[in-house]
Amino acid sequence: MSESTVDDVVSAAGDGIRGRGIVKTFKARGNVLAGSTVQALRGVDFHIPPGGAASFIGESGCGKTTLGRILAGLEDYDAGTLSVNGVDLTSLSRRKRDPYFRRIQMIHQDPYSALNPTRTVDAILTDPLTLRARQTGRPKSWIAKRQREVLSLVGLEPDYVLSRYPHQLSGGMRQRVVIARALTVDPEALVADEAVSMIDVSLRLGILRLLRELRETVGVSVLFITHDVATARYIGADGDLYVIYRGQIIERGPTETIIANPVHPYTQCLLSAIPVLHGLEVPGADRLTPTEPLADTQSDAGCLFAARCPFATDRCRTERPDLAHHGDPEQLHACFYPEQRRVVAVSA
Amino acid sequence: MTAVTQPSEVDGKKVGPAVRISDLTVAYRTPAGELPAVSRINLELAPGSITGLVGESGSGKSTMALAMLNAVQKPGRITDGSIEIDGLGDVVSLAGKRLREARGGEIGYVFQAAQNSLNPLKTVGKQLLDLARSHHVEDKRALVRQAKELLSRMGLSGDRVLDSYQHELSGGMRQRVGIMLALVLNAHLLVLDEPTTALDMISQSNILSIIRDVHAERGLTTLVVTHDIGVVAEVADRVAVMYGGRLVEQGPTTEVLKDPKHPYTRGLINAIPRLTGDPEVAQPLPGRPPTLGTIPKQGCVFRERCARYAADPREDCETTDPVASEITPGRLVACHPVAAGLPVEVSVEEGR
Repeated sequence: MSESTVDDVVSAAGDGIRGRGIVKTFKARGNVLAGSTVQALRGVDFHIPPGGAASFIGESGCGKTTLGRILAGLEDYDAGTLSVNGVDLTSLSRRKRDPYFRRIQMIHQDPYSALNPTRTVDAILTDPLTLRARQTGRPKSWIAKRQREVLSLVGLEPDYVLSRYPHQLSGGMRQRVVIARALTVDPEALVADEAVSMIDVSLRLGILRLLRELRETVGVSVLFITHDVATARYIGADGDLYVIYRGQIIERGPTETIIANPVHPYTQCLLSAIPVLHGLEVPGADRLTPTEPLADTQSDAGCLFAARCPFATDRCRTERPDLAHHGDPEQLHACFYPEQRRVVAVSA
Repeated sequence: MTAVTQPSEVDGKKVGPAVRISDLTVAYRTPAGELPAVSRINLELAPGSITGLVGESGSGKSTMALAMLNAVQKPGRITDGSIEIDGLGDVVSLAGKRLREARGGEIGYVFQAAQNSLNPLKTVGKQLLDLARSHHVEDKRALVRQAKELLSRMGLSGDRVLDSYQHELSGGMRQRVGIMLALVLNAHLLVLDEPTTALDMISQSNILSIIRDVHAERGLTTLVVTHDIGVVAEVADRVAVMYGGRLVEQGPTTEVLKDPKHPYTRGLINAIPRLTGDPEVAQPLPGRPPTLGTIPKQGCVFRERCARYAADPREDCETTDPVASEITPGRLVACHPVAAGLPVEVSVEEGR
């Protein structure tokens, strides 16, 4: 099977990217911690439609980055299935799987270290395009043309940036180069892991807007991993929001619904933690904070959030609630005592 | 211990010293000559206030924070101005032993990314004792006790943390260790450089509430340097906005957020995505922040990105660097059209 026919298969079906019961356990090595394990993902289900968006939010250490790495093929998963447009990647050999993973491209947090400082933007884009031209049997002249195309797509002036080195560009421009490089392989999806947190505030929104526009212009879907719910809302207001805690999805639904009406206390804590722009906004009346910080000593028994939840009962500490619909067709949550609380700041 | 600045009492509450920064200019020597990263900054920190200094990369905010310690590294130097701290005097004129003692003694400094500012080869406790040695603390037991008290006040176990290496602590914990080390010698002026960068929202909100509480309890004057307006909105009484080495606007936080006057402040606030309302309200700023070499030499430093200038180019914006003028008590804005009493609103709408 040649690469190009794989591409055709990938594009043909159109179910997008689907994960079912993805499990990942890290085993610690070394002398002191040997044998101890960390459950990074405990059976995660998700679906990103073609050209759609899904956002994963949670604290540091909740497993959201691991999920992104698995999607980009940088990490193996221990159990569950991952399918791209209906093709189950789990059963494929590594050699057959790679072309699929190649079409899921990662946008890293730090554009300063994601680009080789000794190579010009020209060189950075030529390499993947040369490979791409060889795979698809395109002439060499296509490379320069495509280079300019992808740069224009990300809002950069090709004549200005091509001859430059990464250090000659601003953080925002660098991140655009990273995105342009990802686009050289005609990706199915971009995995943006905290893609704007190191970008200057005045340029951040431009990158978010670009990711949103790329969904429309090139039909790429975006998996957005962040701890900042407001940026997730900007990119994927029409997509699903997944709230992940210690490897488990604890609430899920359309982004706007979850923000307007979160019922899980952890989601409420996350939304409460967003700074209030005093003067423009007034804090939500029921702002919540976790009773304790996240610690690796917290029990795996019962609800994973029980140790930090202000409302935990004995039942929460012994029994784990599953993610389920509970009557609402759109919104899923994993809490025995779901309750609406006004935690989001409202305009003054 | 070593601090000579003492909190004074106002209405029965302890408050930190007043700080007056006058005409502060810090320049870096570059192949293109000596370029100012901070230009003639005038800023007053009221006793007991929390001031937020906001700016993007290259705005000069970190240089400014280092200048508070008179710790600008070569090839940079403070070329002009003074930083008067009540009870300590002008930091710019301090040198040698007196300066070393003031750093960490009267002025507590929490470094950007506390994760990189702790020594990875020493436990936190060892670093605390280093601090005791460099500041000639006689009673080391009392210092350790004080450190443990501070740590437990911030929700950490003192014994455990002092015995830990930095890699054994989470980001939020390291940040709290940084705050402990800054305050353990009883400093009353606290400077925090990007205290919440690289922290997730819950840790950020936790650190911000610690900053607020510790500030009130210990009677401090606090300067929080950050790129994040949200951080300022949460903790600061007053906000000062920097751009291209200039202070373009300052005033009470709620007033500035509600009714920003300088086009840059306006653009910055407009560029924050929000959780409620129409997401399309958020608009990115055009252009990019200037670097040391690209700061315009003449006229307003912001004009190339200014929606108001784009809509209505004025000559003074091109020729004269606007000085800060007080438009209402406590509100200072460095912008020619604002000083001329022209509305800011219109042009920004047009610029959208």
